[in-house]
Amino acid sequence: MADKDSFLHLARPLGPAPVGAQPSTAPLGVVIQPQAIFSILDHSLRRPADQERVIGTLLGTRSEDGTEIEIRNCYAVPHTETAEQVEVDMDYQKQMLALHLRANPREVLVGWYATSSDLNTFSALIQNFYAGGQQGDGTWPHPAVHLTVSTVPGQDIESRTYISAPIGVTAERAADSCLFIPVPHEIKYGEAEKSGLELISSAKDREDRSQPIITDLEALERSVQQVLDMLERVSNYVNNVLDEEAQPSSALGQFLMNALSLAPKVDPADIERDFNNHIQDVLLVSYLANTIRTQIDLSNRLATAALTLGTGDALTGEGGEKREGGDNNRQKGDRRGGKGRQQRAQEA
Amino acid sequence: MADASKETPLKAVQIEALVVMKIIKHSSQSFPTTATGFLVGMEASGTLQVTNSFPFPTVDAPASDGHQDSSSNLAAAAPRAKSNVAYQNEMIKYLREVNVDANNVGWYTSTSMGNFVNVNTIENQFFYQKELNEKTVALVHDVSRSSQGSLSLRAYRLSPSFVAAYKEGKFTTDSLQKSGLRYQDILVELPLTIHNSHLLTSLLHQLPADAPKEELAFPPNLAALQQDPNTPNPPLYPNFDSLDLSIDPFLEKSCDLLLESIENHHTELNNHQYYQRSLAREQAKITAWQQKRKAENAARAASKQAALPEDEWQRLFKLPQEPSRLETLLNSRQVEQYARQVDGFAAGVSTKMFAVRSNLMPGE
Repeated sequence: MADKDSFLHLARPLGPAPVGAQPSTAPLGVVIQPQAIFSILDHSLRRPADQERVIGTLLGTRSEDGTEIEIRNCYAVPHTETAEQVEVDMDYQKQMLALHLRANPREVLVGWYATSSDLNTFSALIQNFYAGGQQGDGTWPHPAVHLTVSTVPGQDIESRTYISAPIGVTAERAADSCLFIPVPHEIKYGEAEKSGLELISSAKDREDRSQPIITDLEALERSVQQVLDMLERVSNYVNNVLDEEAQPSSALGQFLMNALSLAPKVDPADIERDFNNHIQDVLLVSYLANTIRTQIDLSNRLATAALTLGTGDALTGEGGEKREGGDNNRQKGDRRGGKGRQQRAQEA
Repeated sequence: MADASKETPLKAVQIEALVVMKIIKHSSQSFPTTATGFLVGMEASGTLQVTNSFPFPTVDAPASDGHQDSSSNLAAAAPRAKSNVAYQNEMIKYLREVNVDANNVGWYTSTSMGNFVNVNTIENQFFYQKELNEKTVALVHDVSRSSQGSLSLRAYRLSPSFVAAYKEGKFTTDSLQKSGLRYQDILVELPLTIHNSHLLTSLLHQLPADAPKEELAFPPNLAALQQDPNTPNPPLYPNFDSLDLSIDPFLEKSCDLLLESIENHHTELNNHQYYQRSLAREQAKITAWQQKRKAENAARAASKQAALPEDEWQRLFKLPQEPSRLETLLNSRQVEQYARQVDGFAAGVSTKMFAVRSNLMPGE
């Protein structure tokens, strides 16, 4: 999946277009979000035992000029395939599409996927269904994207994306024939997904394929460890060059110089001052938060403990007094919190 | 967890990578509005396996800016809205056809800065834990903390004692004393693990995650080095975002949230004091009335008349209702949450700051 094929964009032949609509022949790129791929793999695992491949619908967004398609979501569609015929549950597809659009109104139908790299007559049939404009439920006038993800155990997972163009055949064969044109695609993840992917991929080398949630501190430790390793590797290389054991490279040297010159030149006194200011901030807020927590805990305990002291009228007076005490504590907490805020405001 | 059910109680939650990605996508898309959705999966010997999820439809609130509060409230209440129950049943029906584990195991919600302990969350989880299936969890994904470094995803359940108290709907001082319920006992956190399928593991191994180990040819010049296709992308793991050194925004936000909680706490206390005062006033009135009636009866007894009933006060005076302490409890739990969060942050950031200082200080 990581290998980058080179692509030649061909202006594809267009089908018969009704007046008014202008299908475009501009080159097309497909971006796949990881969760769509994850979902396809999950579907593949849940396929019926007797079925070679499973299919589903891809949802996503199109850029305004239609040259970039982002696949964001997908869902499975049941289908049965025998040597002679293929049956796709159209009703299911329509209902599910409606359900998904209710939750994600911004996503549109962009195509379909299959979990095998094969392209056959049935693929063409399904492709024509998804691309078809006649019933108004296909992607037309935009091309429908066909994504194949091979899921053969023991082999690399390969993904390919295609769009289609009609080919000149007799009228009765037109429904189940089309020309699949490969288009380039890449898997991209956003900033928000990074932390999730980090955790998911940290489980990849583990026997049980699972990973508990790590705390911030553990994550930090791992990052620091990794950075140290990389620094070690680079300084090893530099030392080897100095000892004339490794081959020098001016480009690498230049790159390292550039990187080193990014280190800020600041006065030690400034660093000391900034460091002290910030560490005090952090510790103060941490202290305040815990003080507030203790005060609230105390206030809660006093509020519920007061009534055990007596009964009847004495109870009310006692309770009221205790609660007053609790409130004083609160006031104190409040004032400290306020102070913290003022301090923050001054620094900001 | 002292679960009274006969079967094994839930001990852990295991979620599929797919679900993690779906939740992250949905939460970050709808940020800052709360995103909620539904979890399906199954339960096996104390471990709840979450294998799929789907988002709830967005709420069609009038999109005027003035009503931000009401629309976010609606979004947060989505899991127990009637229309969504229908949606969820329909979705489950369809998912079952494609062999997805179609059992309800809970719901998820997004939050910002751990600000999730509120009546909405409690009501949702109560709704799920009571009505549908006892073994359900609430997954809470903190969007703003996840963007600062490691993923923040937690699984919570309501404790049995809280559920019992909530069912009765009574959170008076008396009932709290009797049940011994404290704010720490509202939510029970379950350990969470992430699980990958074999196919996914295979895919992850294909994605380049590490710097190439073998010897590479030297680039002829700097430009070539920067455009070299062999230059690896920053690896997914470990995530270098956690080395980021931004302090002030987090502290500022934490202080604001803490202040907000304090104000809430104060309001609740004032309510309670008001109640105490009015209770005392009513009781004083009743005592006065009783004494008057007693004197009257004594006078009547002296003049050989029948005594007037002495318990009429129950009809004449009405004692004020004690305000519920639920809000106070939740608020306290929320403050605890913030405090823990700040502690965790302080630990990480002070480490980083010492590292930076010793790096920049000469001669150390």
